[in-house]
Amino acid sequence: MKTDTTGAVLVPADTALRLRERIKPAAWTAVIVLAPFVLYGLFLSAYGINPIQLYVTMVKSAFGDLYGFGEVLIKATPILLTGLAAALPAKAGLVNVGGEGQLAIGALFSTWFAVFYLNQAPAWIGIPAMLLAGALGGGVWAAITAFLKVKGRLNETITSLLLNYVATFTVGFFVHGLLKDPGSFNWPFSPEISPALRLPVLNGTRLHVGFAIAAALAAVVWFVLAKTRFGFRIRVLGGNRLAAERAGFRLNAMYFWVLVAAGMLAGIAGMIEIAGIEGRLRPATGANYGYLGFLAAWMAWNHPLRLMLTAFLIGMIGVAGNSLEIGSGLPSSSVHILMALVLFFLLGAGRRGKR
Amino acid sequence: MILSDILAGALRSGTSVMLASQGELLSERAGVINLGTEGSMLGGAMGGFAVTVWTGNPWLGTLAGGLCGLLVAAIHAYLVIVRKANQLATGLTLMFFGMGITAFFGRSFVSERIVGFNPVPIPWLSDIPFLGDVLFRHDPLTYLSILLVPCLWFLLFRTRLGIMLRAAGEREEVLFASGINPKLVRGAAVLAGGFLAGIGGVQLSVAYTHSWVENMTQGRGVVAVALVIFASWKPARAMLGAYLFGAAQALQLTVQQQGLPISPFFLFMLPYLLTIAALLLVERRRQSSTPEGLGRVFSGEAGG
Repeated sequence: MKTDTTGAVLVPADTALRLRERIKPAAWTAVIVLAPFVLYGLFLSAYGINPIQLYVTMVKSAFGDLYGFGEVLIKATPILLTGLAAALPAKAGLVNVGGEGQLAIGALFSTWFAVFYLNQAPAWIGIPAMLLAGALGGGVWAAITAFLKVKGRLNETITSLLLNYVATFTVGFFVHGLLKDPGSFNWPFSPEISPALRLPVLNGTRLHVGFAIAAALAAVVWFVLAKTRFGFRIRVLGGNRLAAERAGFRLNAMYFWVLVAAGMLAGIAGMIEIAGIEGRLRPATGANYGYLGFLAAWMAWNHPLRLMLTAFLIGMIGVAGNSLEIGSGLPSSSVHILMALVLFFLLGAGRRGKR
Repeated sequence: MILSDILAGALRSGTSVMLASQGELLSERAGVINLGTEGSMLGGAMGGFAVTVWTGNPWLGTLAGGLCGLLVAAIHAYLVIVRKANQLATGLTLMFFGMGITAFFGRSFVSERIVGFNPVPIPWLSDIPFLGDVLFRHDPLTYLSILLVPCLWFLLFRTRLGIMLRAAGEREEVLFASGINPKLVRGAAVLAGGFLAGIGGVQLSVAYTHSWVENMTQGRGVVAVALVIFASWKPARAMLGAYLFGAAQALQLTVQQQGLPISPFFLFMLPYLLTIAALLLVERRRQSSTPEGLGRVFSGEAGG
């Protein structure tokens, strides 16, 4: 399985260093980007699947027509938002791995409001209200982590991770109980939200305005971080906590509100999944998007605009998984291997010019 | 009667998490947090099941499962220790890697059936009322895992090897000064941790459910990571935490059988909420018991 391209990465560090000096950085980048695809291709061909055909289908389905492109954007939308939910706190020196749970509770809140209060509401009231409910849900969930950090001095990495499971079971509790569709023949899901509350869709695709919302929020986060005083303070706090303290920043308040804002972003992802795609809440709505978002944020070095690219890439690989399942009968999750390989090479290559 | 059922069930369904958390404990004591434990468990569950199907021998399956877990952890060790990659991102990636690769290879094993490990009542001891039912009617892996805990404690706190391992997590300079390569120690700890997590996976597929299902660990690896923190990095407390987790699962089965009006979801949540509550209570002590090298991972400073 060892090829030239992969071998270069697997050799000891000092050899790799010397290599890196010789090859131009651009070529090096190309190797890191291409190697996982080569490796995955070899892996698939060992099992009698033509990898070239797969990659062609993958690119075709992503860029070939509007429908396929829309599918990728749909997949990238929640990843972009949960990615922002990881990237924004990261700028303040916080590690939020709770996007998963914040998304789930956001989806729960927005479904709850949609089913019980907004059933008769027209779209122009209902959709913004649902969006706010989603943001509220995600924000409340993140506030638990933030409160425990600020008042209980608990590490946010651990609590946000643990609360992901609590969130999943909370959603499970509601879809098996209070929110269960009476006409569902005992299947655990909520009633469908009213058609007026579904996000408008681009003709001929399933692409909804959710992507525009996510992209706009990414731009807002970028603007706040790069151009405003508050964003500057966040970056100071993340860069040097002591300096922030000496400058008289109210650290606890900043930690709290940055985490809550992150939770709101992830909660909006949950609302978009409900109003844009699913139409009803299921126990596994949005599963894994939180973790994928965290990885997308890492790949983008927590830069909100670069994040749009990495979220798109991960979305593309995800859509490829579906075509893999239809085309060659492999479980769709086997595309996780490709995604993991891409990340392994990036992780192994390290970051030059950190921050 | 019901109580002994629940307690026995706690051991039965808690053992996989317990093994994984003991492995994670080794790795974290040496200064590496491995969220990829989930991947190691999946690798172990799938690899162990496959080899048991092929050979009919669950012990060979156990060995193979352990090795699969070790292989997955080896990726983590290489990236985190040699390439100095971000530990959390690497671990999460490993989790997805494990999900993907076991779904791929496990596809043909989904409908297979095996004999695997079955409960072996220990003569005499299993006849003791109550205690016999709770403790002495389990599969061999469960017995072994109970024996493992004091062994690990002894290794960590009473041997030279243990001191080296803890020094790698607390102050690697000290280790370095005494002529030992901290990276080597750390790598060994991560690999051993992966091996144990793999066996935890085997217990799940070969001894507990006797089947392979895609993504069957369902977050148990992440629970194992959380339990280590809950346990303040102490083996016996990690065992207690794992059985608490198992008890909540067993309780849920009992509650359903009895038709009690308690939602099973509250019981599912219980272990996680208990973990957070316990963390709050032991917070002061935790600060001092956290391996110093780990603190840097949690505050996002270590790795690139």
